[in-house]
Amino acid sequence: MTPPQAPFEIPPIITYAVPAFVLLIIIEMIVVKLTKKGRYEYRDSATSLTMGLGNRVFGIMFGGFALLAYFAVYEFRLFNLGWTWPVMVACFFAEDLAYYWFHRIAHERRFFWASHIVHHSSQHYNLTTALRQTWTGTLGLTFIFWLPLVYIGFPPLMVVLFSGISLVYQFWIHTELINRMGPLEWVLNTPSHHRVHHATNARYLDANYAGVLIIWDRLFGTFVAENDEEKPHYGIVSQLGTFNPFRVAFHEWLGIWRDVTSAKKFSHVFGYAFGPPGWSPDGSRKTSASIKAEWAARHGAPAPSPAYALSTNADEGGKTAAGEGAGAP
Amino acid sequence: MQFENPFGVAEIIELGGSAAVVLLMVGVAAVLGFRMSARIDDSELARLAEADGARVDSAVISQNGRAAFARLSDGRVMVARVMGADVSARFAAAKAVSLNVKAQRLNATFADVGFPPLKMRIDDSPAWLNDFSGGGGST
Repeated sequence: MTPPQAPFEIPPIITYAVPAFVLLIIIEMIVVKLTKKGRYEYRDSATSLTMGLGNRVFGIMFGGFALLAYFAVYEFRLFNLGWTWPVMVACFFAEDLAYYWFHRIAHERRFFWASHIVHHSSQHYNLTTALRQTWTGTLGLTFIFWLPLVYIGFPPLMVVLFSGISLVYQFWIHTELINRMGPLEWVLNTPSHHRVHHATNARYLDANYAGVLIIWDRLFGTFVAENDEEKPHYGIVSQLGTFNPFRVAFHEWLGIWRDVTSAKKFSHVFGYAFGPPGWSPDGSRKTSASIKAEWAARHGAPAPSPAYALSTNADEGGKTAAGEGAGAP
Repeated sequence: MQFENPFGVAEIIELGGSAAVVLLMVGVAAVLGFRMSARIDDSELARLAEADGARVDSAVISQNGRAAFARLSDGRVMVARVMGADVSARFAAAKAVSLNVKAQRLNATFADVGFPPLKMRIDDSPAWLNDFSGGGGST
């Protein structure tokens, strides 16, 4: 079978968007300076932007592997969908759904969290945070979540196109300057929804995984609205405490390595690598689920509902309790 | 199978340009005065401990207010340090902390690859810090 050709040259969406990114970041800095709403710190921004630059370096080095995998799987596609407008509309929704599940599993399984934690490691939330991207995405196999799309028959370059559009869309929602957006909040992922996603407050953990459309979170029960009475605190549960890009990029991989090499049973190896972040054989470390349960117990409230799925028991629920070492609580 | 260098002229130019833009944006942030602004005090330590379900038993705060080391009511320790406009807190079992206090300088290391060593100047050295000297707290 000959793959259907794209009827137009696929634009390098992200490359084209970079000048707008730069302009918007500088505008946001000036607005933050003038209004005192939102926060910046130059070293934090330097780290975020360096991570973005490094992401591009690693993308040049290894990104081709993901594309090769797409084309390899595409050889076995179920349908010849081709490049038509209805297929493109379907691909937009399918890509966004694939992103939702990639993102959710990236928070709920430590192997994938080791790459994604980079994006959450800033304690600030501004447009430079959007560019704080992993260096180990391809090596960490994150592309596998899009393989079902090309297996179904969406052309690989169409999937790449909509992945790029999704990433560009997600840039502008990393800001504290925009509050709520009325009815759009029902359908789209907005700054408000994404602030919740980046927050470490117990009530906000493991929520709002959407890329473009928030409907997936509403559908799968992981949606949490921003509460005006509880300001988000950003970062990860075990804050890094460093601006060093290399620590940011690799600390969780080193944590996995140390845990796996000191494991006494194969089941422990599996748990450390593929269990929820914070998993430990004796339950001495904290997972999102245990953090939420403790929070609920302290506040006499039912535990927040999202993101208990994909866990084998209530003590091994969620994401974000990353970087827990031997001395972690 | 032959390995091809993925970095051609176009890639080098792209990365060089990106690096220049990064420097520009960081420079703008510095010029606008976005520098370390948070400070640690007792109330901030109490808030951070409470968020983790504990209370501060004793604490030392660095002279410049940018770092702190606290013993919690449940026997753990909490390390806090200013990260820009926010404060980073990390909790650890006492046995995972090794402390060295000399001439108003406190150095702490952690059995945790994700958390860098803590170095801070302190006004005085309370006796309870001795519990952590050389690794491992009394609890």
